[in-house]
Amino acid sequence: MVTVRLDNVVKTFGKVVAVDHVTLTINHGEFFSFLGPSGCGKTTTLRVIAGLEWCDSGRIFFDDQDVTDLPPYKRNTGMVFQNYALWPHMTVFDNIAYGLKIRKLPKDEIRRRVKEVLELVKLSGMENRYPTQLSGGQQQRVALARALVVEPRVLLLDEPLSNLDAKLRIEMREEIKKIQKKLGITAIYVTHDQEEAMVISDRIAVLNQGKVMQVGTPQELYRRPRNLFVATFLGRYTIFRGRVSEVDPSYVVTVKAGSLVIKGMPPAPDIKVREGDEVVIIIRPHSFKLTPPAKPHNVIEGVIDWVSYIGPYFEIRVKASGIDFLFNIDPETPVRIGERMKAYVSVEETMVFPISAAKDMAYMQELK
Amino acid sequence: MPRFSNLLRSVRREFDSLTTTQLILVLFILIFFLLLPVFSILYKAFIFQGHLSIQQFEQTFSDPDMIKYPPNLQFFKIMHRYRFEVLPNGSRILVPLTTLVIGTDGPDFGYIFNSIFVSTCVMIFASIIGTIAAFIMARYNFPGKNVFRVLLFIPLLATPFVNAYVIGKVLGEGGLLNYILRHVLHAPFTVVISGLPAVILIQTLSFFPIVYMNVLSSIINIDPSLEEQAENLGAHGFKLFRTITFPLSLPGLAAGATLVFVFSMEDLGAPIGLAGAFGDGLHNKLMSFYVYTQFQQAFSLEQVSPSAYVVALIMLMIAVVAFMLIKKYVSLRQYAMLAKGGRWSPRVRKLGPLGVLAVYAFMIPLVVVSCFPQIGVVVLALTNWATSGAIPTSFTLEYMQALVTKPDVVTAIRNSVTYAGLAILITIILGTSAAYIVIRRRIPGRDLIDVMTTIPIVIPGIIVAVGYLIFFGSIFFKTFMDPFINPGALLVFTYTVRRSPFLTRSVVAGLQQTHVSLEEAAMNLGASRVKTFFSIVIPLISANVIGGAILSFVYMMNEVSTSLLLGAHNPAQGPITFLMSQVIYSTGTVGAVSIAAALGVLLMVLQITAISLSNYILKQRVAFLGV
Repeated sequence: MVTVRLDNVVKTFGKVVAVDHVTLTINHGEFFSFLGPSGCGKTTTLRVIAGLEWCDSGRIFFDDQDVTDLPPYKRNTGMVFQNYALWPHMTVFDNIAYGLKIRKLPKDEIRRRVKEVLELVKLSGMENRYPTQLSGGQQQRVALARALVVEPRVLLLDEPLSNLDAKLRIEMREEIKKIQKKLGITAIYVTHDQEEAMVISDRIAVLNQGKVMQVGTPQELYRRPRNLFVATFLGRYTIFRGRVSEVDPSYVVTVKAGSLVIKGMPPAPDIKVREGDEVVIIIRPHSFKLTPPAKPHNVIEGVIDWVSYIGPYFEIRVKASGIDFLFNIDPETPVRIGERMKAYVSVEETMVFPISAAKDMAYMQELK
Repeated sequence: MPRFSNLLRSVRREFDSLTTTQLILVLFILIFFLLLPVFSILYKAFIFQGHLSIQQFEQTFSDPDMIKYPPNLQFFKIMHRYRFEVLPNGSRILVPLTTLVIGTDGPDFGYIFNSIFVSTCVMIFASIIGTIAAFIMARYNFPGKNVFRVLLFIPLLATPFVNAYVIGKVLGEGGLLNYILRHVLHAPFTVVISGLPAVILIQTLSFFPIVYMNVLSSIINIDPSLEEQAENLGAHGFKLFRTITFPLSLPGLAAGATLVFVFSMEDLGAPIGLAGAFGDGLHNKLMSFYVYTQFQQAFSLEQVSPSAYVVALIMLMIAVVAFMLIKKYVSLRQYAMLAKGGRWSPRVRKLGPLGVLAVYAFMIPLVVVSCFPQIGVVVLALTNWATSGAIPTSFTLEYMQALVTKPDVVTAIRNSVTYAGLAILITIILGTSAAYIVIRRRIPGRDLIDVMTTIPIVIPGIIVAVGYLIFFGSIFFKTFMDPFINPGALLVFTYTVRRSPFLTRSVVAGLQQTHVSLEEAAMNLGASRVKTFFSIVIPLISANVIGGAILSFVYMMNEVSTSLLLGAHNPAQGPITFLMSQVIYSTGTVGAVSIAAALGVLLMVLQITAISLSNYILKQRVAFLGV
């Protein structure tokens, strides 16, 4: 069990900053994910932890040991690669036993441990197959077994499920999580799939352009995003701009967006907005209710523009005061395009973000 | 100073024991056995009587033998003569005979421009023929296509000197061509072709397959959807060819044409072979032959004319420019393969009867003429053709037997096998190390190593040999490494340096197809770099190493120019090709030419075996001259 600590880690490739002053701590026994769009630096961060890339500056610690200058083969991490990286010229047994042979363990012990780990990943009896004779899911298990058998200090998983089909992916992510909890090993997981990250992780770091945007539990990230990027990267939303007309002492902010006046709150107390500020309002689709809630709330009234049946709910678009709202509503409700409808959203779930920097403006443009 | 300490840190990390060992080894061989010798030519050309001077250039350029002004432009002449004919009753009568003599008295532009003229013509002719052949083979189906596929490959089988000798024997006064003209067609005239036109003919026939192979691989690699999209927008026929197919195959044509130019410039086979058939003449008034005679006859560097260094330098410059052109176009080659995915079936069309006729009208004469030298070599080796006149009259195994019985022949074969064997061991270590550094390591100067391991493909062997004679002849004067005393030891290194690109390219391809994560996984599990290299990398690329080594070995066996220039200084250490050149050029004992032909047959058998083997191991057709 190991705590992994990154302290101001920077990694550049030419002019591209892949990892930009990343500082974070991954607790022992934790399942921790790096989540972000492609090119955000999540895989590079993982490779820096594994020692496969050298960071330009900053330090990396496993507990109190500074491993920054250790070559990959002295770090004792177990990595599962995106393409599994199984050696085609070795059998399943030889692949898994490789790390144990390097550690010069006695033959009997190697055989015993390979057998154990194969049981763990449910692949007993496959020892003499070659990787090409295995299915994608089986190859994935061999890669996991090969990383686990050496009893690494940290398990590193680089988008391990991205090459599997959707159904297998859901099965495997539960299995990986179970194995990790059973062994109590610290695991760091890289993915671009937000649902996968939410399901599997104890905590998640959302990355964008090499920077950590927010670290938190899946609930925290979803309900209390600290910035526009995290709010828009996770889940779906209604988004529009407005100007603050009033801020009351309990942080309830009144915003005017065209003809619409709406009350909202910044998702965290330290996010400050002032009267006259340009802001962005973000509301999750399931925050809209058809009956007025007990809490303070806004009323949205408009014309149904688009209806799609998703299964567990209707996804409908409503045009109100020139703004496109996205609602998720109960599939039992009768709705038709062109009809007027009324919905309610609590002030608390109406998230207000300041547009502070030019970067936010540019980002808004991208979203439009 | 954080920048500097970062640099130090990265140097310490990148230079682990494996990389350091590989790098030192590669740099040592490349610097000592390629760079320094080649640069010593530069030194010799510019240093006159101990100080920097361009006097040697002035001297060379004002020599009318080097640059003939005004040039002799008499391409042909018609001779009216009488000759005796023997009638069936035994009496002899005089008959008038008109002879068209091509190339014997001209053109002549002097050594330097003769070479450039020949190389340019060969490049143009080979490009036209090679491109047409490649398009036909890539885009059309017709009966006998596979036969043509094999036959187009035959001219590439090197039979140094003997193939040119065969052509000379066919084109000469009493040769096969005139035999057919007089006795079969009863034509009232005869034709003699020698001089530069004969060189152009021979080189075009043996080098057009280089263009053919390169263009073919370019066309095959074009994503079919690119052409389909053009058709979808309304282009077809010649318009499609001119606007899409041809531009996309240009990189292959450019690479092929440049290689042909350089190979033609450095070729010694045609001038020496023709000199063997016709005696000395304009066909050996070429830069390559000039440098060859200068250095071959000299017992020490002092006896070499200063002009030889200047001419060698000119050849080197042309080669370097050619290399830069190829580099540019080969990197361009990738754009033809940018769009991947989708259906990837070759666009081959079946031809109608008229089309088939048109294809045959082009292909049949082409393969008949271009395969003739190789066939002729086999005939020469197995019959009495060398002494029987225009056509052979009896079959004999005498010359093939000489391969195992005649002492000087056996020695030459043994020498070749020894040199190539030792060279291939060094090449395996050098090529694998260089490829690994170039593909996998991020160290400064990596690109330079890449260039140095590829450039020997275009550097004329004569230049390498001259460089060795200058560098090792002066630094290691009268020692084991002196080429004037012990050329064998240095031949091992010329073979290594000149032919290692085949192996290096093959290993590079292997590494590119092997995902780097396979190595990272091993290091992640605790294997050091050395351990990873030997337990993961080597097993994964072994097919490429073996395949490349076989190709390199074969090209070492029939390496011509350094074998001749270095071998000449101690004939007992001469390899096969040296003996062949001696036999052909010095036209010693009767029937000796046939022994050279027998050696040519041996080389051909070796090449066919090796190439089939290497294709089988690599499970793919490698570009024959793998640039």
